[in-house]
Amino acid sequence: MFLNNKIQNILGIFYAAATIALALAWHPALAAQDDDLSLEDLTKTEVSSVSRRNQSLSNVPAAAFVITAEDIRRSGAQALPDVLRMVPGIQVAQVDSGRYAVSARGFNGRFTNKLQVLIDGRSVYHPFFSGTIWEYDPIPLEDIERIEVIRGAGAAMWGVNAVNGVINIISRHSRTQKGGLVAATLGSNGQRQLYARAGGSIDADTTWKLSAQGRHAEPSKQLANDNYSEDDLNNGVVDFRLDRALSGGSDFSIWANAGKSSLGDLYPLTPNPLDPSTLIPVEISQKISTQTLGGRYRWLSGTGIESSVQASFGSSNIELKDALEVSNTQFDIDYQGRYTFAEHDLLWGASHRTVSDEVWARYVVEIGAAEFTQRTTGFFIHDNWTLIQDTLQFGLGARWDQTNLGGNTFSPNATLMWTPTRSDTIWAKYSKAPRMPARAEFAVTMLTGYLPPTLSTPPVVFRAQPGSTPLRQETMEGFELGYRSQLTQQLGVDISVYRYRYTDVVSSIQGTMLYPVVISGIPLAIQNLDRCNCGNGWLSGAELSVDWLLAPTWRMQLSYAFTHVDMDDSANPIAQAHGQKEEDSTARHYGSLRSQWNVSPSQQLDAWIRGSSGVDRTLSPYTTTIRVPGYVTLDLRYAYKLNKDIELALTGRNLVGPRRVEYVTDYVPATPVIIEPSVLLSGRWKF
Amino acid sequence: MPTGRAFRIHLLRWLVSTLLIAISPVFAQPDSEPQLEAAYLVNFLKYVEWPASQRNSSTICLFGRDTLGPFLSGHEGRVIGGKELHIRRVSSPDDMTNCQLVYIPDVEEARIGAVLRWTSGMPILTASNADGFARSGGGIELLRTGGRVQFIVNAEMMARKGLAPSSQMMRLANRVIGGER
Repeated sequence: MFLNNKIQNILGIFYAAATIALALAWHPALAAQDDDLSLEDLTKTEVSSVSRRNQSLSNVPAAAFVITAEDIRRSGAQALPDVLRMVPGIQVAQVDSGRYAVSARGFNGRFTNKLQVLIDGRSVYHPFFSGTIWEYDPIPLEDIERIEVIRGAGAAMWGVNAVNGVINIISRHSRTQKGGLVAATLGSNGQRQLYARAGGSIDADTTWKLSAQGRHAEPSKQLANDNYSEDDLNNGVVDFRLDRALSGGSDFSIWANAGKSSLGDLYPLTPNPLDPSTLIPVEISQKISTQTLGGRYRWLSGTGIESSVQASFGSSNIELKDALEVSNTQFDIDYQGRYTFAEHDLLWGASHRTVSDEVWARYVVEIGAAEFTQRTTGFFIHDNWTLIQDTLQFGLGARWDQTNLGGNTFSPNATLMWTPTRSDTIWAKYSKAPRMPARAEFAVTMLTGYLPPTLSTPPVVFRAQPGSTPLRQETMEGFELGYRSQLTQQLGVDISVYRYRYTDVVSSIQGTMLYPVVISGIPLAIQNLDRCNCGNGWLSGAELSVDWLLAPTWRMQLSYAFTHVDMDDSANPIAQAHGQKEEDSTARHYGSLRSQWNVSPSQQLDAWIRGSSGVDRTLSPYTTTIRVPGYVTLDLRYAYKLNKDIELALTGRNLVGPRRVEYVTDYVPATPVIIEPSVLLSGRWKF
Repeated sequence: MPTGRAFRIHLLRWLVSTLLIAISPVFAQPDSEPQLEAAYLVNFLKYVEWPASQRNSSTICLFGRDTLGPFLSGHEGRVIGGKELHIRRVSSPDDMTNCQLVYIPDVEEARIGAVLRWTSGMPILTASNADGFARSGGGIELLRTGGRVQFIVNAEMMARKGLAPSSQMMRLANRVIGGER
């Protein structure tokens, strides 16, 4: 026994020594760590890593993910929603050549009403439709510095509607955009994109940038018959920014932005006199125009309070030819303060927003009041209190909003963050967040469904309308837990789990029935569906992201989300069906694996495998449900740098898998189209 | 004597661990940008002279969102230029009094002005990877240029705080603001 131990010890020493000797012999680099390099060596070391910026947000008590400008470029995406596909917990489904359905943590829809989207702090959530309209380009992708996505409630900071997530788009400072840049893309299916930018400095402290982008896509093929649909896309956006640094750490910025978008669609609307089981598609042209002017001033008081005041004025017009026109003017003013003292990091702010809309509607849509002005005033306060230096932090915050449509809301938030080591973070978060029903939900009456006739019954048209009791806010309340770790310098993981309870979700119940009503010479019945706050349910899920630097020039990023919606059963068949629809239309599994490989300093080869499980969706306006099958597909991108200013890239998107639809719209009637493989050639010239 | 089986197990263990250690540098020693930035910060402690004091340790403070922590944690407790190194996260002016170097990551760009004011008049070296940091009154700006990470020194600002960068550091800088090389 004793002898054995001794021999084991000798063997142990031997093998340790041999291991080290061998390892050193093979890799002398191991002996010299970075920190032992002299300053001179450091200045000569090539940065071989694939990412320009580390994405660590290790000390944030929330499920956060950062998309860098390089991630955007290497994704090969032409539209903003396609970039968001890399974020765990964000589900993106392409509807047609320009429309997208984007949601955070379930409840996907054309207008995802529980997701707040901000560009430089300015909300682009449309207050009439209750969601973000993704078909126009609010900002060119080239002008984005980074996108910070926070899943889970952000209402305590950003107010109502930041229920399931907040997407913060941060534009590039004009200081980093001096000179000129032209980027052009040509692709299959008539995809074209042209971006041009000029920037410069007026004096040492003042810089400006002006950019413009145009984008076009040809119509897609219909799922039903392979004929071309009408989703011809033409987008344009002009963006200006001016920044000036003032003395004493203060600065100001001015933004001006104007965008236009035109996109067609086919709405199956007119009953077919020859075949009453179908509706004849009507060509709809949709036009959007937006203008925004804004400014921000940041300063520091003598007592050390950091302040920022931001104001913006904007107008937008959305027109669905012959059916609906919504004109908005919007004024926002927002103050934020921050004071860090002792163990506290205190944030507070106040904001006011006035939105005046004017709505014109006919045919399938009716509106209660044609004009309305909504005023919302809110304030928030939040403290991050460090209980144990570098180890334990407690956060507490709340926001109050008062509005003349729907009433007052209160959104509290509490977090606890424990960082046992510098590389590990464990956090927990409690939050309560309201969603305020939109103007459209309060006031619009709309034909949403069609049940073809049978031998004994006439055709039935379903009509969604305001219920007898006014709508009130929906509420979400829940817990989240997260763990983030930089396991090694090359491998980082981020895991979060959550469980939310939703109450008073807007749903509908059976209302009165009108019979007969004659439309296009056909007698039919109209079944009213009255909107009500009669949905309740649970949402639970888990998200994982892994960031792995396999080699100096090779990085892999995995993201995966599991989402489960479980609505309560309802005695009312319509509300029950509505709940069932919410459950079936959220993809349970959604994920992607990205590989970024720098083949050589001048060549990049990137691959992106993306996938989603299937969903069942109602094929609006019919009441039938169709299966949107799950898919796995692949994007590839090869880029070649001719010199430091010119880059060419060849991108293939949706390269593998059977022909598919990604989304079927279940509220606004539409014609499902096929998402086809595409090949794009891009050039980028900086001068 | 160990039995043949035990020996084989030893041999196997040795082979596996040798292979792992030998391969790991190939796959696991990338000089990523944050890693290099972390190495720079540690290095600056050797090349800058702080006003004379009795301290026997040096502290690098990471302001706001922590982007370099995992890359610096390995240096905690090492002796750099005769002083023990500590790494701390800071968020308020009160935290910074014991820092020799405060690093502000570019994601905290909006708060650079505030940090510079809080640290003005104190013998604290500020460093950041944000664009234009040195020009707007910061001490050292790390920048990526031509596939390398380099640095700009604002000598005027450092002199005002009583910090003396070595001549070698000035020579290696990509640019020096307000001073002679």
